[in-house]
Amino acid sequence: MLQVLFNGLVTGAILAPGAIGFTLMFGILRFPNFAIGAYITIGAFAILFFDQVAGWHIALAMLGGIAVTALVVWLTDLVVFRPMRQFPPISLLVVSIALSLILENVIRFIAGNDVRGFDIPLTRPVKLSGLMFTSEQLYLIALAVAAMFAMHAILKFTKLGKAMRATADNFTLAEVRGIDTDKVIAATWLIGGALAGLAGFLAGLDLVIEPLIGWHLTIPVFAAAILGGIGSPYGAMAGAVLVGLAEEMTALWFDPAYKVGVGFVIIAVLLLFRPQGLFGQPEIKK
Amino acid sequence: MEVKGIVSGYGRGDIVKGVDLAVGQGEIVTVIGPNGAGKSTMIKTVAGVVPARSGSIAVAGKEISGLSASEVARRGVAYVPQEANIFRSLTVRENLEMGAWVLPEKQAERLEMVYGFFPVLRERRDRRAGNLSGGQRQMVALGMALMVDPTALLLDEPSAGLSPKLVEEMFEIIARVNQAGVAVLMVEQNATQALKMSDHGYVLAGGQVKFSERADVLLNHTEVAELYLGVQG
Amino acid sequence: MLSYLISMTTFVGFFMILALALNLQWGMTGMVNFGIAGFYALGAYTSGLLTVEAGWPFLFGVAAAAVVGLVFGVALSYLSVRLRDDFLAIVTLGFAELVRLFALNEDWLTRGPRGLPIDVRPLSGVFDRDGYAIFYLGIVASAVLIAFLVNERIRRSPYGRAAKAIREDDVVAEVLGKNVLRIRIQIFGLGALYMAVAGALYAHYTQNISPDHFTPVVAIFIWMSVIAGGAGNNKGLLLGAGLVMMFLEGSRFLGEFISFMDAEKASAIRIILIGVLLILVIRFRPQGLMPEERFKGPSEI
Repeated sequence: MLQVLFNGLVTGAILAPGAIGFTLMFGILRFPNFAIGAYITIGAFAILFFDQVAGWHIALAMLGGIAVTALVVWLTDLVVFRPMRQFPPISLLVVSIALSLILENVIRFIAGNDVRGFDIPLTRPVKLSGLMFTSEQLYLIALAVAAMFAMHAILKFTKLGKAMRATADNFTLAEVRGIDTDKVIAATWLIGGALAGLAGFLAGLDLVIEPLIGWHLTIPVFAAAILGGIGSPYGAMAGAVLVGLAEEMTALWFDPAYKVGVGFVIIAVLLLFRPQGLFGQPEIKK
Repeated sequence: MEVKGIVSGYGRGDIVKGVDLAVGQGEIVTVIGPNGAGKSTMIKTVAGVVPARSGSIAVAGKEISGLSASEVARRGVAYVPQEANIFRSLTVRENLEMGAWVLPEKQAERLEMVYGFFPVLRERRDRRAGNLSGGQRQMVALGMALMVDPTALLLDEPSAGLSPKLVEEMFEIIARVNQAGVAVLMVEQNATQALKMSDHGYVLAGGQVKFSERADVLLNHTEVAELYLGVQG
Repeated sequence: MLSYLISMTTFVGFFMILALALNLQWGMTGMVNFGIAGFYALGAYTSGLLTVEAGWPFLFGVAAAAVVGLVFGVALSYLSVRLRDDFLAIVTLGFAELVRLFALNEDWLTRGPRGLPIDVRPLSGVFDRDGYAIFYLGIVASAVLIAFLVNERIRRSPYGRAAKAIREDDVVAEVLGKNVLRIRIQIFGLGALYMAVAGALYAHYTQNISPDHFTPVVAIFIWMSVIAGGAGNNKGLLLGAGLVMMFLEGSRFLGEFISFMDAEKASAIRIILIGVLLILVIRFRPQGLMPEERFKGPSEI
């Protein structure tokens, strides 16, 4: 049981940065960006490139990959979404799915379908009072927790972070008060992209790296964000851990191949009974 | 502030059909009129939230029509919407800080000033603004607008939804803000009370100015009193 | 060459049925469905398995696919029609992934990634090979025609106008007394039925189905067909489906001429191009090639 909880925590740690990134973008841009999975894939491959082709140290490669992902994600806004800012959310949603296929296949075009992994020494699993874990798993959790603290600090203590929360809360008022919403939006894409890059690294540590790595995480990431109340970064963190736990628990009874299904069932059930998420407050409708 | 012949609206039709207004330095000007007269759209147009289709809006001789809401805010014209006028999920203090976005160097000084106007906000500064009472939420909204050291305030029904006692308090606060040298243009349902403290009044109906008089004249104007102030005979 | 054309036209037929289905759900009623591949697969496997494993005749298999599609469509929409459109997108996408995972992992039933061979075909002894291709094209064409006529009938009926009122604004439709929930479920179910029938016809045509025929890319092709053709316009999307197929095939030929690209890269390029085209169409011609015909209300006549 302890093992299951631990594995759930690891899965939650992989999902958390992506879920936070997704929910931040949703909060400000008001459409679900399906390309989040493709962004994660870009992160994994960018880090892989710095790690294996450029031969950087893995920590450096991670930072480089995160920077590249943030940049690419921001560019997708400039080129694709920004000119369509006034379009209905459903159009943007379709666009984001198309974008996700484009990015995924750009990766496939460059890197092929081969299965890869980061160049890190394999470590022997450690056994501690019945709990098996690897040092990568510990790094993974530590990184996810660090990202959450960093995110918390940005949102709570920096002017830009507060403006992001304000803009997500009430876009019109933010403009009326003179908040530079263009800057806030750009920051949101960059931060969301950086989080996706980190998610790519975490996913690459735990799973094999292939062009669909991010796609497989899309539905669990959505589940985590929706579970936490879409638009709420703190909810997304908690949601990620819950989805992770649920995935590992159901793997006790079902074929682990159906992990994605767990996310889907969580979404379906939750949307049915509590569309505002477990921790969200009901939307006030006029 | 000089507003000349502004036309605006949503979709195909015009709601505001050529309105002229003037607000002198340090004046309080109130716009009254029946529901659907275009008062709210008019003030949103001045604030840059709804684009003006024609006409001009000048503040201290400088044209501001055609500017976005945030650019208007930067020019010292602070608009307070009637609804959704605070960031509910932010604390009181964070709300006020957001108000100071365009004037960061004066933030500390302005914060003290706003707390001076609304001592209760200092007490509640770490509360989520959405959890405050209606009156306190209005204070946050007004306080946020004051953070930019505005030359003019645009208020869309500042007394809406407040209890009679709070309405009085609200108007007192507006008067105090005004005494500190801020011109006020407001749209109000509480016509009599608002006009009593105003220098000038306008009656808007069907998107056009029907009357423009000194406030005390307007208050004693029989036709206006009957039609818009709810005074019988 | 002729047999190639016939085969391509048959494939366009499957696209057309799927596009007509999506037009019911999205174009006319405003429900976002990204789980097209899920219903398509459901129909294909239902008919395939029942005919191959249980020995059912072709027509029964297709009918069973229709029923299964309808049941799943109604169930899924019953669960989620109250959702905001963007959440419906997520739920349908998740559903399609689940169906694909099931086909992939339940080897004992679906034979997993190796694929399910299907040798049952209607009247297979009567025609020679070329004749049969034409005959099957006839079957698919009839299905397209029926679906098209049903769609047009719905579009022109008061029921269809109610669906459109829902698309424009749920709340208004509710106020007008349209039973929003019921109409949404019925339309979604009917669309799912079309998709499943398309899947069944596809299965008996290709005679081998495997999970990788049913990836989310299918949804993009169909969305592209509907959007390019003009959402809400049944004729437009037929054109759209044809154009998308021509594009897919055309780009495949191109891929063969460019020798330095292997099949994998060529297929990646095709999907990239489709994605780019879809985004361009949405941005620059959101109404499609053939914009929806506007209805004249009684007052306008």
